[in-house]
Amino acid sequence: MAASVTGLLKPWTPRVLLVRWSRYNPYYLEPEPRKEVYHIPETELTPEQKEERELKSVRPIKAATNSVTSSVFNDPVLSKFVNMMMKDGDKIIAKGIITQTLENMKRKQVEKYHKAPEVKKAEIECNPYVIFHQALENCKPVIGLASIQKGGKFYQVPIPLTDNRRRFLAMKWMITECRDNKHRRTLMYEKLSQELLAAFSKEGNVVKRKHELHKMAESNRAYAHYRWW
Amino acid sequence: MAMQGGTALQEKVSRMLSRKHKKPVLKPNKPLVLKDEVANRKIKKGEATCVTEMSMMMACWKQNNFVDTLCSNEMQSFYKCVEKAQIAVKNKSEQHTIGQSGRLQPKQATILLKRYPNLHVEI
Repeated sequence: MAASVTGLLKPWTPRVLLVRWSRYNPYYLEPEPRKEVYHIPETELTPEQKEERELKSVRPIKAATNSVTSSVFNDPVLSKFVNMMMKDGDKIIAKGIITQTLENMKRKQVEKYHKAPEVKKAEIECNPYVIFHQALENCKPVIGLASIQKGGKFYQVPIPLTDNRRRFLAMKWMITECRDNKHRRTLMYEKLSQELLAAFSKEGNVVKRKHELHKMAESNRAYAHYRWW
Repeated sequence: MAMQGGTALQEKVSRMLSRKHKKPVLKPNKPLVLKDEVANRKIKKGEATCVTEMSMMMACWKQNNFVDTLCSNEMQSFYKCVEKAQIAVKNKSEQHTIGQSGRLQPKQATILLKRYPNLHVEI
């Protein structure tokens, strides 16, 4: 469908040009924010990359969103987490909470590092970004359950999940757990840092929730053949 | 040729509607007009993919009390199987949309019919 639409609309430019919107003519290409791609010298480009560059020189390109930067600190996973934490479009508060969380995690880990004996110092991870990513990885479920109707009844069938769905579930569980199941008067960054550090060492409620999902899937493995994809 | 086929069909329909000899075969409550679309054909129901990998992984989990680190091999094979299955599905759907083997896909037929719809108002 998109290919046929692109064929029809090739020489057309709209009278009012859309910039920084999210709905574009499928003719527009995605922007490339990473600097490394542009630093590759001409000689080292593969034929596909050369073709891509030539295509980009003739086609219009979508405007990059505000959340995408070419800096070293741009982390798509972290940006997604910030967006999921955001309420009522208040990105400043959400980003502030995440920054405080990372600082808090670093402080705790550095304290642990200085108190630990020499032998154990190498094992303690102090980089909060590494901790965040590893904790999220530890929270991602491997298979999920889908409600499939067969013969009038609904069965919980174990299904493989896409990478996006797994990442989303891990983040959602982390945020809901921090919002609901913690003490009322602790601040969000404190709750998040506690939960992330626990997930990093594979303890805590989120990892427990993941294991419970796995157990449910394992108990329902007989219904795996009810899938048709 | 199409016109001759058309008149023959109309004669048959009028015979089926007539009350001359016996009870009419057709008693339509709506006008006998074709729609401007074609119904979507049901794709054949496929099999569940990667069931063996999944069962191996679950057996490993049962043995090791759901600790993930000990089952990493099975998990990796499961992920690979899932990836392969996704690529296969994509290729199959692509092949269906592009290579029709002499027949139009129902979606494409609908697009063409919508471009030249039945006239319901006199021009």
